[in-house]
Amino acid sequence: MAFYVSRLSLGLELRRLGCKTMRCSGVDCRSSSSTSTTLAPRSLADDGKTDKLGRREKKNLMMSESVDKPDLNLRFKYPEMFPEPFMIWRNPVKEKLERKDMLARRNCISIPEFYVGSVLRVNLSNIHQPDKVSSFVGICIERKETGLRASITLRNVIDNLGVEIKLELYDPRLLKIEVLRLERRLDPHLRYLRDAPPEYSTFPLDMKPDINRSDEVPLNRIKVKLNPRPWTENWHKIEYKGIDESIDDLITNKWKARRELLRKPWEKYDLMKTYRATLPEEEMEEILTEIKDDVEEHDRKHSRRQS
Amino acid sequence: MRLNKPTPLRPLIHYAELSKLVSRLKIPVHWHVKKLRRGDVPGPEGRLLKLRASVTALFKYERIEMDYYPADEARGYAERLISEAVRNGPQCPETMEMADWWLEEKQLVHKLFKVLVPRYQNYPTSYTNFYRAPFWYFSDGFQPQLNEEYPDKEINETIPAFRTVSYPKGLLELKGNPYPPIFPSKVTNPRSIQNVLLSSAKDFYKSKEGGSERLSNAESGRGIEFVPNEPKSDENLIESSK
Amino acid sequence: MRRLLVHQPPTVNCLWRETTMAALRTRVGCLLQGFFSSSKIPRSSFDIRFDGCVTQVRFKGGPATPRFRHPVWHVRKERAHYPENLTAENKEFIRETISQDFGPPIVAHGVKTYDSPLKNIEKIEPVQWFPGIRRTSTIAKKIGIQPLWLNDGTRVMTTLLQIVDNHVIKYNPPDQVIPLRRRHKVIPKKVLGKFGALIVGAESADPQEFTKNYCGLFRESGLPPKRKLARFLISPEAVLPSGTPLNAMHYRVGDYIDATGFTIQRGFQGVMKRWGFKGQPATHGQTKTHRRPGSIGGGAGHRVWPGKKMPGHMGGRHRTLRALKILRINTEYNVLYVTGQNIPGQINSYIYVHDSLSHHRWVKDAKDAWPLPTYIPTETEVPENLYASDVHPFDAPSITYEIVDTPVVRTGAKIAKAKGSKK
Repeated sequence: MAFYVSRLSLGLELRRLGCKTMRCSGVDCRSSSSTSTTLAPRSLADDGKTDKLGRREKKNLMMSESVDKPDLNLRFKYPEMFPEPFMIWRNPVKEKLERKDMLARRNCISIPEFYVGSVLRVNLSNIHQPDKVSSFVGICIERKETGLRASITLRNVIDNLGVEIKLELYDPRLLKIEVLRLERRLDPHLRYLRDAPPEYSTFPLDMKPDINRSDEVPLNRIKVKLNPRPWTENWHKIEYKGIDESIDDLITNKWKARRELLRKPWEKYDLMKTYRATLPEEEMEEILTEIKDDVEEHDRKHSRRQS
Repeated sequence: MRLNKPTPLRPLIHYAELSKLVSRLKIPVHWHVKKLRRGDVPGPEGRLLKLRASVTALFKYERIEMDYYPADEARGYAERLISEAVRNGPQCPETMEMADWWLEEKQLVHKLFKVLVPRYQNYPTSYTNFYRAPFWYFSDGFQPQLNEEYPDKEINETIPAFRTVSYPKGLLELKGNPYPPIFPSKVTNPRSIQNVLLSSAKDFYKSKEGGSERLSNAESGRGIEFVPNEPKSDENLIESSK
Repeated sequence: MRRLLVHQPPTVNCLWRETTMAALRTRVGCLLQGFFSSSKIPRSSFDIRFDGCVTQVRFKGGPATPRFRHPVWHVRKERAHYPENLTAENKEFIRETISQDFGPPIVAHGVKTYDSPLKNIEKIEPVQWFPGIRRTSTIAKKIGIQPLWLNDGTRVMTTLLQIVDNHVIKYNPPDQVIPLRRRHKVIPKKVLGKFGALIVGAESADPQEFTKNYCGLFRESGLPPKRKLARFLISPEAVLPSGTPLNAMHYRVGDYIDATGFTIQRGFQGVMKRWGFKGQPATHGQTKTHRRPGSIGGGAGHRVWPGKKMPGHMGGRHRTLRALKILRINTEYNVLYVTGQNIPGQINSYIYVHDSLSHHRWVKDAKDAWPLPTYIPTETEVPENLYASDVHPFDAPSITYEIVDTPVVRTGAKIAKAKGSKK
């Protein structure tokens, strides 16, 4: 246990989530070539003011300066509340009804804040168990879909066998979700752990929750060293920040040459593509205003219940 | 029933990229992404290069006339670029990099941040206008200076008709440009026939007899006989024209 | 808005058809004289048909081919918009007139509509059910797909159908109705006189969008013009007065419905996607043949049968999905949560929702009958969400399973003993 703890704690850095790293990114901030994900740009203009998080005050006075604007950082806490931006399938009434159902479920069960890379324990109602309850501990390697279809994949290695469980967050058979370790990783998913040594995915089933004293969500900058090929997916094709550089030793020169051809350096300049892949800020604010009071109430209720 | 195009495919990533913050565009954004043909560079890269030339030209000349569908695509990129510049300003390195890539002439980058951003600071509407322009006719003649493919040809030199294609044209302009407006400003003429008829209808219904007629119609559940395109009577016309 | 009378004056299309069909008939009659006896069958001006079967259509139960022309009884709906440059007072006058006729524009139940000032809506009396009675269907909009969970933990994907501002426009009694969708050569007498046609409209809109002729269709009822009109065949007993609103309470949770829609356009598709052919293997020496239809006929026919399944345009047809259960109703937004995620149609398209005609789900007793002729609102408040008995509501606590002590059944079979254990 000490082995993997020391590995995973390498490069732990306290980093404020959201605004500081993701600001000024109408551009694809996940592109490998951008180096500005570390610090927000400090404004040097006289008219723009910066707050302590490095955010520039909006010069864009078009947007109504309402008194109670929701904090946009909440969007990382409740990512499934935002609809898929495929506009052909969107309908405002449907989205509203779905959010109501999601808030109703959140009233019954606490769906805590967690990210890809956090370690969770879930208790499920399982009809096939003798005591009708099953429990699983694992690292969240994926967060998929939006709305009531929101699902997560938890991975653990039990008896030398990698086990992954895909759960729906709003499934009424989920009895409890507990975050044992709250942290973030460098990539949007961690499916490459399937081709990594088991140390990266092993967590004891009786793990105690880590006490995180800071307000910020820590970013784990660990670089995973993959096993030799064959792999389940072609990890070399996309530049994963969480995979060590030693991946180059595991692939042939032909693959390296092919990888160069697959690079799309023009994609980060495709402004309309990035626009179609995301929701505009005004829309995010509208949604957050709608859910803000309810989720705050739920947080208070569930934290009171826990304490 | 028309044989419509098949519906576009759902993207592979089924969630929104929440890390990016973009301002809402005030133009209609189509889901169909138009493929643009380009000789030198194929694929999405070539498409962006072609659009880059259009966006550069738009920022340079502030009013351009080109093929309709590429202009429609270019409009989105121009609006996005201005929206990013207005939102973030020149200090943001990403925005500067974007402007640097999209605007081939570097003086236009200065123009964007120093001229266009203050101009569009408080615009509640879109930053561009987009109109349909007249098609090219064969009788318009051959204009090689607009077409780089034929540098040796003379103006109005005869060309075989089968090699000409007539694509729909579009006119794209930045709002607040210094040229005279394309359409004359809308002046509502109270003497035009539709206004005369409507105002006389209004007076009729406001009067006692008109009001009673409306009441009886409403009570019987019958909708109003509202026919704005038919003349009511000659008297009203004569009276209002005085 | 179909008002076909049995004895219709011949239009240009009919005349063309009659002359060509008459010519064909004589030729066919000559050819097949003596094979088929046709002397006993009565003829009329509307009665155009062949003397006998000329072609053998292999694919008999084929879908109706899509029609590309507007029927003769349709009026032009949309009008060209041009700059009118009206004065502000005149624009206000138009807005006021519309408000006075239909009420001010509001958003009610999630739909843009008018706060209708219709005063003389007749009171609806409940109707006694009898076997074979048919009540009106509704026009809904497919707004999306979301999962629901049942009490035993089963996840069911449901489609949300929003009944968008339906109103009854008009009723045509059975003697004025031909209840067929295609142009039949002979209209069977048995279908006439049985069902009346109720014209229902969905989604009120600004009259300025439409032509005067289209708006005139709604003048008698006093309703604002609707974006979508539909004709539903009903028993004359289940008639509704003009102006009656139809909402989600017209149905009950646990009911079964049929959903008709216009399928998604898929363009020109090959035989594998369009008809589900199996294609050919990817390897083992196949030369350029992996998705082809293969053989298109046998030896005996010496030709390709009409209706042979081949590549072509796929989608854009009216299709009905049968026996879909309503699991939940949202009364505030008039939304039905219906099982199935493959209801024909694109999202935000119109779907006709009918009481199911499936034999398994057909109502057989008066006590199971749906509200006839429609839901009559009472003074009691209806909850926002109505759930079927087997559906787990989201605000209920998590599903848990009971530990049931099952008695151990001794079958008399030999039970293996572990090595070294004593009896």
